[in-house]
Amino acid sequence: MMPMAAAAAAGAEAGARAPEDELEPLFDYSRVQPTFAFNFDDTDIENSDIFVHCNKRHKVSNGDADADDGADEGDKADQKAAPGAKVAVAADLGEEDWLPPPPSKSKDAVRAELEKNSILQELRLQKQVMAKFAESANDILEKLVETAKQKVDDANEPPEHIDLDKSPERQVEKAREKLVITIQEKDGQQQFRVYKDEKFDKLFKAYAKKAKLSPSDLTFVFDGDKINPASTPEDLGLEDDDMIEVRHKP
Amino acid sequence: MSGGIARGRLAEERKAWRKNHPHGFVAKPETMADGTVNLMIWHCTIPGKQGTDWEGGCFPLTLHFSEDYPSKPPKCKFPQGFFHPNVYPSGTVCLSILNEDSGWRPAITVKQILVGIQDLLDQPNPADPAQTDGYHLFIQDPTEYKRRVRLQAKQYPPIV
Repeated sequence: MMPMAAAAAAGAEAGARAPEDELEPLFDYSRVQPTFAFNFDDTDIENSDIFVHCNKRHKVSNGDADADDGADEGDKADQKAAPGAKVAVAADLGEEDWLPPPPSKSKDAVRAELEKNSILQELRLQKQVMAKFAESANDILEKLVETAKQKVDDANEPPEHIDLDKSPERQVEKAREKLVITIQEKDGQQQFRVYKDEKFDKLFKAYAKKAKLSPSDLTFVFDGDKINPASTPEDLGLEDDDMIEVRHKP
Repeated sequence: MSGGIARGRLAEERKAWRKNHPHGFVAKPETMADGTVNLMIWHCTIPGKQGTDWEGGCFPLTLHFSEDYPSKPPKCKFPQGFFHPNVYPSGTVCLSILNEDSGWRPAITVKQILVGIQDLLDQPNPADPAQTDGYHLFIQDPTEYKRRVRLQAKQYPPIV
């Protein structure tokens, strides 16, 4: 939409020059120039039309923050300022690209809107909750169907099959359990990593080989008791980092 | 509850002992007939030091912890009639670090107690006698004292 002033200016120019030269100027400065008189007088600025909505907002926020008596005053000020703002918009800013100030609302209207919003929010929340209920209900139904299917499958399969499947796994897990055992000599310590369910015999022989001694000359002791080479760390209840002693037979 | 403190500390002591302890020593809480562990009584073995008259002996010692442990020291007992100037006829060891009123500190560990008693075996304290037999021989007849100590070491041979 072409502003009226610009159109008039263009018409005047066209009239002054050749009639066929009806091109508009590249820049229409009339749009940029303020159409209203800008007064730099301090006292007027505050009352000037362009500040009306600013002042009004300020006063509203004040009114809200203050006690109830203060709010009443703010309301009155609003009502005074609001018609002024409307007039200013209609008279001076109507044809410009200014955003019109937000329509003035009475406090009750604002409250009512807030209440509506809160009610809407509650409704939305309720809707979400209901949706979740519906989802979980669906999930439960699906699970029920699955378990029912599994039960049917289990019933069809022979029970021995399951046992066969599980027992090798357990054995593998056991075999993997390892311990670090410290063997204490008179003048030092050595650490060995052993399987929890492996007989001590292997460890003793490995130690004797390392120490260049005969296993028959060595006695291994845990908590004051001789360790039977046929037993395992598990039998003695050995834990990780436990210490056993080696004694040389006289 | 003080009992909780005692048991908690003793559990820690046992844990530390299992991981590391001096060679030849044994220290384990009593195991009841039904297999449960009584942390308040420990059965220990103290080896006689090498190069001393006590060498070759593995001397049984029982630690009796009270509910006030570690505020109060445990009572440490050799078998009744144990031959040593600082051991009472009942077997109770008389040692400054085991005395609540003199050397005991709650930070002293089971390991330190046992090593301290091992030191005491070969280094009796004549200023603090606890039995007449051991004390008199130690003061008056060193040769007979030596013989009695060696004899006693043979009485407590290593179990393994």
